[in-house]
Amino acid sequence: MLDYTLRRLVYTLITMFAVASILFVLFRMLPGEPTMQVISPAMDAAVQERMKEAFGLNEPLWKQYFIYLKNLVTLEWGRSFVSAQEVTDILSYRFWNTLLLMAAGMCLTLVLGIGLGIVMAWRRNSALDIGGTVVGLVFQATPPFITGLLLLIVLSYRLGIFPTGGMYPPGQRPDGLFDLLMMPAFWERIVLPTITVGAYYISTPMLIMRDSMLEVLGSDFIELAKAKGLKPRVVMLRHAARNALLGVVTISGIMIGFAVGGQVVVESLFSWPGMGQLMVESAASHDYPVAQGTFLMLAMLVISLNFFTDILYCYLDPRIKITAAGMN
Amino acid sequence: MLASTASRWLHTARLGIGEHYRIIQSNPLSRIGFRLIVVFLVIAAFAPWIAPHDPWEMVYDKDGQFASLRPPSWEFPLGTTHLGYDLFSQLVLAARTTLVIGAVSGIISILIGANIGLIAGYYGGKVDEVLMRLTDILYGMPFLPFIIVLIALFGRKLEFVILAIVLIIWRTSARVIRAQTISIKQRQFILAAKARGASDLRIIYRHILPNVLPLLLLYAAFNIAWSIITEASASFLGFGDGETISWGGMLYELWLSGKTRVAWWWFAAPSICIVLLVTSLVFVSRAYEEVANPRLRKR
Repeated sequence: MLDYTLRRLVYTLITMFAVASILFVLFRMLPGEPTMQVISPAMDAAVQERMKEAFGLNEPLWKQYFIYLKNLVTLEWGRSFVSAQEVTDILSYRFWNTLLLMAAGMCLTLVLGIGLGIVMAWRRNSALDIGGTVVGLVFQATPPFITGLLLLIVLSYRLGIFPTGGMYPPGQRPDGLFDLLMMPAFWERIVLPTITVGAYYISTPMLIMRDSMLEVLGSDFIELAKAKGLKPRVVMLRHAARNALLGVVTISGIMIGFAVGGQVVVESLFSWPGMGQLMVESAASHDYPVAQGTFLMLAMLVISLNFFTDILYCYLDPRIKITAAGMN
Repeated sequence: MLASTASRWLHTARLGIGEHYRIIQSNPLSRIGFRLIVVFLVIAAFAPWIAPHDPWEMVYDKDGQFASLRPPSWEFPLGTTHLGYDLFSQLVLAARTTLVIGAVSGIISILIGANIGLIAGYYGGKVDEVLMRLTDILYGMPFLPFIIVLIALFGRKLEFVILAIVLIIWRTSARVIRAQTISIKQRQFILAAKARGASDLRIIYRHILPNVLPLLLLYAAFNIAWSIITEASASFLGFGDGETISWGGMLYELWLSGKTRVAWWWFAAPSICIVLLVTSLVFVSRAYEEVANPRLRKR
């Protein structure tokens, strides 16, 4: 177990390093001035020169690469072209907002999805089972921006039940997480983006839970439990669902990793001040230090999630090596 | 001799098509899905002849009035945009873009994914290690952000959208096909082929490939569906090809115009098409899933 964890940790670090290197290459392939990605052309010449020095842009490419890696590790991620703020400062605020929304969306997805999956398998071929499968597949086929737009048009624009976006009303910036969580206006605003995220991903835990439940339900010990005269509820939850949960655990980790990338759409649609929205805004305005930093941060989040999934899965079921199926 | 080989090959191919037809027909959902896909393909093929206007042509109604933000009517079956573009024409022409992107990136990515999965699974050892670490790296890439970065750096071009999709999307098919290959390569008939002295390539492509084919087709369908969703999402965020009309791009223009509150028809047409097409693909893939994964079959 420890051996496996260490090996995974090394792989994870290699992956992070590789992603950072790919990003370096991409930004250096940029047409035009090589300094463009860290130094705003709008700054005056003396400042530009000083920054070139700081980022080692007068050095040969291989040296620049090492300076880039060193800056990554020491959290010298540059400043925004637009607001001149430190990229790390911007990200440290945005990071939690993204995490908050993702946590809400994934809780909804997992709780509802697993619950429905259990009931669907238990009542196989019932209207709920067949209907649930079809609805799940349709949700899976609906890109989040369409679900989000639909919710906005119907529930916000037409019926006016929910605010159209943001995380809190303009001008009422809360101090700290606790303050934010105590705001009713925040809870009003998190509903639609949460449903949007949840709807797209729900079919994954639901259908996988259903399928692995069906497999477990076919095994002898379930027959035995039933024969012992245990209540159906007990057999369903304590015996079958518990054993079927394993498959969902792995897929969930990978799903959450994929959902990180999907944040981009939901946050842009609902003006949620997270990293996804920042990614779109900075890329559209060619604010390269922010775009690069945000991409790295999102990638680190995905990579760490993959690492924890691997470890958790190995802990839960040491027999099996990790494979991801049925997701992207 | 040659003729008999050819006829035997033709016979196998026909059997193959019959088999796929049977799989698709076996399930009511995939039957509907398959028909819808055919309809979309026909529309895409004849798009320039079906569409009455250019996608970005300002249209006037029969009284000579500028047709801006018209709801659906006999004259403009799906309505018009605020700049007076005919949405029906845009929708029909965009079908082509979407299907081409879906098909091209879906097919290229499954070719890459299948080959990497087969080779990694068959050879094992160092080869497997290297290829799987490569796959791990791609699993660390957030998909949409990667496309956004690529497009922001190199420009809003169709090629870059396809390239970005292909570069990432093969990862899942590679992992899944590798796992399947590993389980197949230990079976008797593979060991027998080895004992006969069959070459590695022959074993991989003649003996293992046919056995992973249902899985491969399943992931081909998934890859196409994911490509379409991804392209639409990227276009909606303004990171699609700026010069080709696409369904996601139509919704991007709606969002930019600020008319989302009023122009429900502008939202409805492209959204319904995206959902219908992807749902059809998912339905068809579900039929293949039952073949690839027999425990899903109805007992």
